[in-house]
Amino acid sequence: MQPILKVQALNKQYKTRDGLFRSRFFSALENVSFCLNKGETLAVIGETGSGKSTLGRILAGAEASDRGQILLQGQIIEDDGKRIVHSKELRLIFQDPMKSLNPSLTIEKILSEILELNTQLNEQQRRDKINETLLTVGLLAEHRNYYAHMFSGGQIQRVALARAIILDPLVLILDEALSSLDPSVRAQTVNLLLSLQRKIGLSYVLITNHLSLVRHMSDSLLILDQGKAIEYGKTSELFSCAQSKQGQRLLSC
Amino acid sequence: MHLLDIRNLTIELNTGDHVIRAVDKVNLSLKEGEVHALVGESGSGKSLIAKALMGVLNERWQVTADRIHWQGVDLMRLPPEKRRKLIGKEIAMIYQEPSSCLDPTAKIFEQIAESIPEQGLSGYFWQRKKQRKQRATALLHKVGIKRHTKVLDSYPHELSEGVCQKVMIAMAIARSPKLLIADEPTTALESTTRAQIFRLLKSLNQLKSMSILMISHELAELNDWTHGLHVLYCGQMVEAGPSKKVFGSPKHPYTQALIKSSPEHNVALEHKSELYALKGTIPTLQHLPIGCRLGPRCPQAQKDCVATPQANDFHGHTVACHFPLSQK
Ligand SMILES: Nc1ncnc2c1ncn2[C@@H]1O[C@H](COP(=O)(O)OP(=O)(O)OP(=O)(O)O)[C@@H](O)[C@H]1O
Ligand SMILES: Nc1ncnc2c1ncn2[C@@H]1O[C@H](COP(=O)(O)OP(=O)(O)O)[C@@H](O)[C@H]1O
Ligand code: SF4
Ligand SMILES: [Mg+2]
Ligand SMILES: [Mg+2]
Repeated sequence: MQPILKVQALNKQYKTRDGLFRSRFFSALENVSFCLNKGETLAVIGETGSGKSTLGRILAGAEASDRGQILLQGQIIEDDGKRIVHSKELRLIFQDPMKSLNPSLTIEKILSEILELNTQLNEQQRRDKINETLLTVGLLAEHRNYYAHMFSGGQIQRVALARAIILDPLVLILDEALSSLDPSVRAQTVNLLLSLQRKIGLSYVLITNHLSLVRHMSDSLLILDQGKAIEYGKTSELFSCAQSKQGQRLLSC
Repeated sequence: MHLLDIRNLTIELNTGDHVIRAVDKVNLSLKEGEVHALVGESGSGKSLIAKALMGVLNERWQVTADRIHWQGVDLMRLPPEKRRKLIGKEIAMIYQEPSSCLDPTAKIFEQIAESIPEQGLSGYFWQRKKQRKQRATALLHKVGIKRHTKVLDSYPHELSEGVCQKVMIAMAIARSPKLLIADEPTTALESTTRAQIFRLLKSLNQLKSMSILMISHELAELNDWTHGLHVLYCGQMVEAGPSKKVFGSPKHPYTQALIKSSPEHNVALEHKSELYALKGTIPTLQHLPIGCRLGPRCPQAQKDCVATPQANDFHGHTVACHFPLSQK
């Protein structure tokens, strides 16, 4: 079977200041490769600053890589930092959703704009789609008139989820999107994600440090350490026999 | 004596055409040296309570209370200037949104240096500057940041979320406050650091007898070191009491649901199977159900639940439910 998402030797460097005039390069990702099959979940864990969010942003096209390829359904969509296809099949939910939502628009406007830009739906269809999506993520239809600042931290995560799935993507990248939820909402969201996976075969890249979630939801696991992939394999196998010291330490807590 | 004693705290938002009550008559008190946890559904008002206490809500919010006593002084009756001074000196808060609370235009060192109190420093200004640098470095080590030189010399946007969160924690403990309010301080941290931060807070509590009000979802990790547990739903305190009692034998259906729905609770669960969860969502503040606010979602709901349940006290363990769960 062809993997839905394939990443080959991805590299990313950031320029950092070193003294007043010189600058230095800091490697945020080094030769990261992995495959993701349809209907499966890849979990990405690692210490803070290990490059998880950088990987997520690059996959979603919010940032460009320096070297390496990203293939979606066998087609190259990014090659050595050049985005060839802007795909709506890959959607990202940010770690800090507040930053990604325009504070001066209602939720309805935000969602409607996305539909206008990416689909041919008419006004009534858009309205229905928005209602349906809000209900799917466990919000109410009346939340459509809310502004971003009126939601609490956990609710805003659901808005972000609604925004991500409204275009029916193939792969969803969740950057710590479940961590700020309370246990009962988190359980609901996990159930929702799992049922979407069963029903429409959605694939997830799950960036998280909640080991119980990793164990429960993921099929394969990638461990990053200072930008390098130090472990990659089946989740169940890695939990029982991680090779590296760092990997064992992260998985044991 | 209570360090903090809040009675009937109500927080309302004036939207122009009507008033929304986001927090309804909440009681909360803690003694010196105690650690209390505040848990509850997202949107139930946890952050609002913390912000009201710190006095950082803007003027659209109306905060009323029978009393908010801080070491016997009623904060509600202090002039704002005095109140801010008192709070600034003795209470520190770690906010939920780290990136929005750090100043994007200043380097991390300047921000940490600002929160280090003058009293601990001595000598001429260049000596002080060096001392500040040392203190800042030591603080970063405490919260588990190893590359301190790079971090101190960075702007917030150049750092990852987790590092920003650690910086916020470092700034909050710099003044050794009497009370630390931590609003979901560990959500962006990896498991090893999360354990480290909990250990750090635990030791600050034991060695410096710093009191802590933890807003967090990691029920399993809170249980063994907090003294009290308060459960909030939809702006009302539904259950409160000693952690062991509330966690070990919850009496309120919502508390039970919270405990049952964490994946840690059921490790034997089949891979990718459905987790236990309450049906439905928390209602909007404009359309609260009549009577018990959990009513429409409660698995135990009965006819009597259309009347608002009063809080009942079972030996310091209060529950607001008509049909409290009995122990097995
Ligand atoms: N714009 C930027 N300029 C310079 N360095 C950056 C920039 N963005 C990220 N970095 C650096 O790249 C590294 C990886 O960051 P990233 O946000 O991917 O970490 P992360 O693994 O998601 O961590 P966390 O779990 O804390 O969110 C970090 O060391 C960070 O400081
Ligand atoms: N600026 C605002 N305008 C309207 N409603 C708000 C605003 N800020 C917060 N709320 C509402 O107040 C409630 C409590 O929010 P909050 O204290 O942040 O919840 P949490 O318990 O998740 O910390 C939520 O229902 C939220 O929607
Ligand atoms: S009062 Fe009734 S509806 Fe409310 S929690 Fe108790 S049993 Fe459930
Ligand atoms: Mg990140
Ligand atoms: Mg909050």
